[in-house]
Amino acid sequence: MPAELNELIHQPLRLQIMATLAALPLREPIEFTRLRAITDATDGNLGTHLAALEKAGYVKIEKDFVGKKPRTRVAMSPAGRRAFLQHVAYLQELIENAGGKNGE
Amino acid sequence: MAITTQQASDTLDEVAAAQRKISVLQGYAKGAPHFLLWGVLWAAGYAGTELLPAHAGLLWLAIDAIGLIGSFLLVRANAAPGARSAAGSRSAQSINFFVIALAFAGFIGATYYIMRPDTSAQFGAYPALVMALMYTVIGTRAGARWMVIGVALGVLTVLGYALMREHFMLWMAFVGGGALLLTGVWMRRV
Repeated sequence: MPAELNELIHQPLRLQIMATLAALPLREPIEFTRLRAITDATDGNLGTHLAALEKAGYVKIEKDFVGKKPRTRVAMSPAGRRAFLQHVAYLQELIENAGGKNGE
Repeated sequence: MAITTQQASDTLDEVAAAQRKISVLQGYAKGAPHFLLWGVLWAAGYAGTELLPAHAGLLWLAIDAIGLIGSFLLVRANAAPGARSAAGSRSAQSINFFVIALAFAGFIGATYYIMRPDTSAQFGAYPALVMALMYTVIGTRAGARWMVIGVALGVLTVLGYALMREHFMLWMAFVGGGALLLTGVWMRRV
């Protein structure tokens, strides 16, 4: 599939979320609270953007309990990883093509 | 939506920055339980050495064995089955752990053999200084918190050796062990 701009991922907070999740080992989830601290987002804002990414099938959100404490964890899906890598490839291609034109 | 090359370049910088940040924070999160474990073991080991100097050798053998097994289990727990990271698979990380532990023990043993420390304070200070150096070196790549504990541990060890040599083991139990425990708590924080 050719590299292309993914408008869903390109939004700044969603890009930060996807970049963070993509840096984790495969199948490794991150806790919502940790992701919130890393992205400096509010609960509501992060929740909204995660819901959009989940709807697109890019992330999986798991809710469980540790003892009596509720815990929400987020992991990137294989489809999300592919989409993120394609988006990054598109950006790199854009820069390389511009460099080639400038060098002519 | 069309974007300019400048926007693309800025976006790639943001991606790289986010990935560096999570890599450092994950390193802290994975290091934290090791610091907590070794903080407790250092406190017990150095305090035990102060109270029962005649049994220090046996005590440290037991402490090191508990620490190695504990750290090994933590490494296994951190590397989920099937998960792959920059550090490699779960079994690769387990092998790396034993190679590092053996290299560390071998280095300390070889130095003791060649340099022949005279006093228990010298015996006690040396591994702490080597650990301090290791944390500082790790910190140059893995994040400032490693460097802070490395420098702090080195300075505290030398200070204790200079000012509290009579009760150096107690100093290391409370100050050295305490510094490791505090680092463990600090590293758990995002």
